[in-house]
Amino acid sequence: CSKVLDEQPRSVFTPEYFKTEQGVIGGLTAMYSHLRNIYGQAYYYNSGVTGTDEATWGQSADGNFKDMDNSGVGSLLSTSFPSSILWGEAFPNINTASGVIENASAVGLSTALIAEARFFRAFDYFLLVQTFGGVPLDLGSGELKFNTIPSRKSVRNTVPQVYTKAIFPDLLQAITDLPQTGRVTGGLTKTAARLILSKAYLTYGWWLQNPNGIPTYPAADRTDPDGHNAQWYFQQAYDIAITAIDDPGSFGLQPTFYDVNLAQNDRNKEMVLYADHTQTSEKYNGGSLTFGSGGAPDNFAGWMMTWNYPNIKSSGVNSVLREADQHLGRPWVRMAPTIEVLKNTFADKVNDSRYDGTFTTVYRGNWNKGGNTTPTLINANGLPIAPGDAVLTFLNEDNPNVTYATENANVGAGVLPGRADFVISPGAISRIIYPGLWKLGPYRTDKGNGLGEANAGSTRPYPILKFSELYFIAAEAAIKGATAQANKSARDLINVIRARAGKWRFDNNGNKAKVEDNSAAMVAATPANVDLNYLLAERSREFYAEGGRWLDLIRTQKWTELAATYTIGGTSFGDHTPVKVTRTIDNHLYLRPIPQGQIDGLEMSAAEKAAYQNPGY
Amino acid sequence: KVVDEKNQPLPGATVKAQSSNVSAATDANGDFTINLPAGEQSVVVSFVGYANMVQALNGQDQLTIKLNPNSKNLEDVVVIGYGTQRREAVTGSVASIGGDKMREVPAPNISQAIQGRLPGVDISQTSTRPGATTQILIRGQRSLTASNDPLIVLDGIPFVGSLADINPNDVKSIDILKDASATAIYGSRGANGVILITTNRGQMGGNAKITYNAYYGTQEVFAPYPMMNGPEFVALRKAAGKFTNGADEADDVNIDWQNLLYRTGTVNSHDFGVSGGSQTGSYNFGGGYYKNQAVIPTQQYTRYSLRGSVDQQVAKIFKVGFTTNNNYNLTEGSQVGIYGALSSSPIANPYNADGSLKRTIKMPQDETYILTKDIVNNLQDEWLNETRGFATYNSIYGEAQIPWVKGLKYRVNLGLDFIQNNNGYYTGQGINSSVPTSLSVAGVTNSQNYHWVVENLLTYDRTFAEKHNFNVTALYSEEQTKYNSSSMSAKNIPSDAFQFYNLGQATGEITIGNGNYSLSGLRSYMGRVMYSYDDKYLISATLRSDASSRLAPGYKWHTYPAVSLGWNVNNESFMKDVSWVNRAKVRLGYGQTSNQAVNAYQTLGALNTRQYNFGETNYATGYYVTQLPNAALGWEYSENWNYGLDFTLFNNRLSGTVEYYVNNTKDLLLSVGLPPTSGVNSYTANVGRTQNKGLELSLNGTIINNKNGWTWDLGFNIYANRNKLVALASGQTRDEGNGWFVGHNINSIFDYEYQGLWQEGDPYLNILEPGGNVGMIKVKYTGPVDANGQPTRAIGAADRQIIDVDPDFQGGFNTRVAYKGFDFTMVGAFKSGGVLISTLYGSGGYLNMLTGRRNNVKVDYWTPENTDARYPKPGGIQSGDNPKYGSTLGYFDASYLKIRTMSLGYNLGQLLPKSSKINIRTYFTVQNAFVLFSPYHKESGMDPETNSFGNENAAVPLPESQRRFLTIGTNTPSTRNFILGLNVTF
Repeated sequence: CSKVLDEQPRSVFTPEYFKTEQGVIGGLTAMYSHLRNIYGQAYYYNSGVTGTDEATWGQSADGNFKDMDNSGVGSLLSTSFPSSILWGEAFPNINTASGVIENASAVGLSTALIAEARFFRAFDYFLLVQTFGGVPLDLGSGELKFNTIPSRKSVRNTVPQVYTKAIFPDLLQAITDLPQTGRVTGGLTKTAARLILSKAYLTYGWWLQNPNGIPTYPAADRTDPDGHNAQWYFQQAYDIAITAIDDPGSFGLQPTFYDVNLAQNDRNKEMVLYADHTQTSEKYNGGSLTFGSGGAPDNFAGWMMTWNYPNIKSSGVNSVLREADQHLGRPWVRMAPTIEVLKNTFADKVNDSRYDGTFTTVYRGNWNKGGNTTPTLINANGLPIAPGDAVLTFLNEDNPNVTYATENANVGAGVLPGRADFVISPGAISRIIYPGLWKLGPYRTDKGNGLGEANAGSTRPYPILKFSELYFIAAEAAIKGATAQANKSARDLINVIRARAGKWRFDNNGNKAKVEDNSAAMVAATPANVDLNYLLAERSREFYAEGGRWLDLIRTQKWTELAATYTIGGTSFGDHTPVKVTRTIDNHLYLRPIPQGQIDGLEMSAAEKAAYQNPGY
Repeated sequence: KVVDEKNQPLPGATVKAQSSNVSAATDANGDFTINLPAGEQSVVVSFVGYANMVQALNGQDQLTIKLNPNSKNLEDVVVIGYGTQRREAVTGSVASIGGDKMREVPAPNISQAIQGRLPGVDISQTSTRPGATTQILIRGQRSLTASNDPLIVLDGIPFVGSLADINPNDVKSIDILKDASATAIYGSRGANGVILITTNRGQMGGNAKITYNAYYGTQEVFAPYPMMNGPEFVALRKAAGKFTNGADEADDVNIDWQNLLYRTGTVNSHDFGVSGGSQTGSYNFGGGYYKNQAVIPTQQYTRYSLRGSVDQQVAKIFKVGFTTNNNYNLTEGSQVGIYGALSSSPIANPYNADGSLKRTIKMPQDETYILTKDIVNNLQDEWLNETRGFATYNSIYGEAQIPWVKGLKYRVNLGLDFIQNNNGYYTGQGINSSVPTSLSVAGVTNSQNYHWVVENLLTYDRTFAEKHNFNVTALYSEEQTKYNSSSMSAKNIPSDAFQFYNLGQATGEITIGNGNYSLSGLRSYMGRVMYSYDDKYLISATLRSDASSRLAPGYKWHTYPAVSLGWNVNNESFMKDVSWVNRAKVRLGYGQTSNQAVNAYQTLGALNTRQYNFGETNYATGYYVTQLPNAALGWEYSENWNYGLDFTLFNNRLSGTVEYYVNNTKDLLLSVGLPPTSGVNSYTANVGRTQNKGLELSLNGTIINNKNGWTWDLGFNIYANRNKLVALASGQTRDEGNGWFVGHNINSIFDYEYQGLWQEGDPYLNILEPGGNVGMIKVKYTGPVDANGQPTRAIGAADRQIIDVDPDFQGGFNTRVAYKGFDFTMVGAFKSGGVLISTLYGSGGYLNMLTGRRNNVKVDYWTPENTDARYPKPGGIQSGDNPKYGSTLGYFDASYLKIRTMSLGYNLGQLLPKSSKINIRTYFTVQNAFVLFSPYHKESGMDPETNSFGNENAAVPLPESQRRFLTIGTNTPSTRNFILGLNVTF
């Protein structure tokens, strides 16, 4: 009788679907998928890099980048976008994870699949607790419960509660239940869970110790509810990291550093976790394959530290065109490395292959791919160059013989007598011209002989966890006093990484084979006492501008010390005068502001809302 | 004989002796015979839609009486939903306009034609593209996230299509029910008002009548978007100091990109009809053609419409009939946008040395594909987007007099509608892309909408003892709407010739889009009693019960009562001697109505999907919860009080209506945004209350009544609506996340308040704006100050203000001056106060970045030499890509007065012999003639009417949740039209 009044949806899923097996597996897929709303999202990326000792704002930087630099050109507010991204992505994902964990046993899902949900819940809580301090464990239906109540209230738990109630138990269970080899390409493994747990133990150990007296929020005693001390956690961190190294499953180090980041080697055995992308399907890539709009889930982080190289002209012709090539890519000029990065962090550019395997320092002519058939163009010193030849080179060392002129290559470059390419010394880089970030450059196999879709987001997976990080975690724990196993001291572990960095098979910027093994020299140069500052510098060489630097610096409370000043040239071509800039990094900045959208969305009194916000914002 | 203003016979007119009750009606030829009492000096002639005429006899016994159409006197019969009523007996609030009157504004659709002409009916432009429709708000906005659209009823059947599907030439009258005492008979769909559209029908016993109406016009850009020219842009880029010229730029170039793109648009309409009748039946058939070519090349809208209606008496007691309205329409060229033309650097040279056009221009950071009218025209087979719509709206009815009960009638209406839309697009390789090898893409979207309704109506209409008039109506109805759509797209189409017609042959990725399905139904009972005593005391009472499938079980039913009272004061004996009052009626109404306009399945919650790839080719789809179920979702309903006064004075020369209303809406259906920590985006709930209060006045007067051949009529309406949120969920007074604030407009902006620019020497710049600079925007600081008056913190989120957007009052006016065969009409509209949001000047448009990166809207910006500017220093502190607080630059006073049309007509029939029975009228019309009193027009030269929803036509538009804000964005430019028209009847 009431058929006209009945409802049966046929094109949308209702939450009931979450109680079926396909629904639960789909929930897991959504968790993997959420990774790319965070990793490769350039504004989130920027929040982990700009303002550290790795980068500053670039010439085209907008407020999103200047706010993060803490150098008087903007300030980080609750309304700033970059610091809100994680908050907005993590909680829905945590809720989905809780839903999967609750429903999975009802539909008979294996513990290995439930462990994936546990991993993601812990993973997000770990990111949140590092970034914002204590965060709520109860989303409305109870602690760590799937929320079915439209709650507009929220109470933040303390940092030790988040670690001991959520992160540690979930990850311990995940290590037990996850497989050695992922169930899908890029799937979660015991190694991934060990890496995150060892890092979480390490971070929590630092938090308990709090050597520089950085405040926490909400207020909490620096004592562990589980009754352990910092030392216990450092030892756990060391032990779990070493276990992961000793029991690597399918993971391991690549033979050379170049091979770690080379696009052709994507998803290699060193990659423990990444946010995947594909050039074969726009739908499943989640973003345009032709023109990225600059938003998640696109992987557009690599655009930020790419200067506007298509401005280069050789005798009036644009000789380096925008190309979907790992050396080039889409230029947004939002971020720039500092002179200290080029001169200090990467001081050794000869033995250590990591400078060459991180940056694009040579820009080569590709005008032929843009349809210009001119065989040669006149470049520096009136000398001809052909396609594929160097047009502009960032030198490894400062050279007093370089003479700069604004009109050189249309980008204010320099010339050296006898050289056909224009040059720029490392001490002469500026916010508008600097070596690009080769590591995160795009790569396409569908461009034929042309320039390809340089405006699309990168279709490469964005790296999140690398096997090599286990060595750093164990080494840091050892530096903090963990008892090391034989031949696995902090120096031993770091030397594994450094020895690998000494191995060359290809000269990336020279674009030619170079088979050299400088491992012995690298190891010889390692100081006898590997201290925290050395470890952090080594970390920066290994993982430069991949997005995690800010978390490393706040964990170790070294941010203020290491990032207090930097030097770089100005914002116009031809300006090669380095300017020393001072940052003001207050203690309150060690926690990001709770996003205004969260505060606005709460139904609580003004006083409660004020108390919800981290101090200083 | 009685004839109309065109000397055509008027069948069915009433001729009444002035001093007695003797009356007669005219026949099919307009002839009548009346036996007048001795000594009668004159007769009164009346007819629907015409002014009553008092004709002196002067002793003649053969008279030809000519009536003039007079909507000021208002149609004597109004359509009130499930029936009609004499205007004199109406107790609810009904605004009406006749089809002819409406067509004084030649417009592609009804809503544009009646914009500004009826009090309380706020019609806003939401797009300037050809074929676009409008937003109609009757007595303000009452719902926050559910629909605020009024219910439209076409020839008695609830209308599920688009107003653009109805040819204005087919319309006989439009009656708008505004208060709940009138709309309660539509119960659950009455809360937002009801628009009743009645199309033309034939007249029984009439001769065949043929009409032909046509017009042709040209459209010129009303005003180009005020972008900088070459030298202005060079100065800006220099002042900003952020960018050096890109590869194609030079300081001595000066290109007007808009001029290269725009063409002259055209509008073209043809319509013919034939109607007539026999003694037992009548018919009306017609067809129409309408085409509008926009000023943007290839953008156009074409509509073909066909209609028919037949009524037939079968035996004595049965009557059957049907109505059919059909149209096929084609919307083309929507892929051509203007952001590229607006943002392209005016100093970028699009020409190669040999004079040929380049493919793209390179600016410092951007490379833009060049679009000129020639390029777009030449690409029309390789770059297109078209939507083909077909809609058919049909109703049939059967009616039977119940023979043994006098005045009792049974009627069944069956409505059957089908609407189909078919969209296809194709972009050839490299077109509109900076990369020449970008793959071609094509796609198709199809949607179908099926709607049926069955209504069973029993009516009883009888007068007892000459004074007690009863009209009783009972209804049982059911209806159902089914919608489904599908879409697909593909890349790398092997041949341009395929366009979107064979996606299966694509060699690139083929994507099946999400399908969409919804089925929703409504079941209703309704009863209504209207009683009048001696035409003096009127009462109308209605009760309707509706059940909707869209609401949660247990909450589906709601019952709506309504009562209204009327008192025709002029019919009282004590008014007999007040000769200057022809008519006066006091009305009072109360009613409840509601809004079920949430989408189907909202009570069930929702999962969203997102895709992922595990490795290069292992694809997977994920699900996560975005919306929680609400098993208690019920009706949002409004309680409405309406007070009205209708009057006609001074020998019918001045008539008017004054109304006051209070409309309280409760249990608002809201999509409530949740804070991220809830893990879920939103849920739909019944929370909160809103209120609309308002005053409406309309006046129609005849200033000169056929004096020496001159006639001058004037109409005026003004109305004010006060809209506010009264309560939100759980006693909160502000919901900053959703932008809702108790005591303020539903449409209120939550943003910083612009207070000028920071000047050299202004105190506390470094405290309030760390990192800021002189010349940046100064916004209001609301934080504490210390003992020295020094602010204690920087400006931040706590300083945002609530800015009400609604206007103070608005209205319209029209005037008609006629002399012999000439007539001149003018229709205007005005609005005072309120906030106009222009994304052109605000930050979302990315056209006022003041950095010199792309072209900038021409603004008076701050420089050390020009410190009293409104706009900030170029290259100063930014938030994102725009000046900090740049959004505040997009708020303008929304006031304007606009002459919408001016029309001069001439009746050629005057020149023809009277016996020819041919009537020909020609006219010339200027549309969008000019704008006065508009601060936005003054600043920009542009049309101050909105052209976009909030989430459209800006580089970074407002979020979907703020679609409710209408804005001026980068849509097809508004035009000024020059139209030449012809109406022929014989």
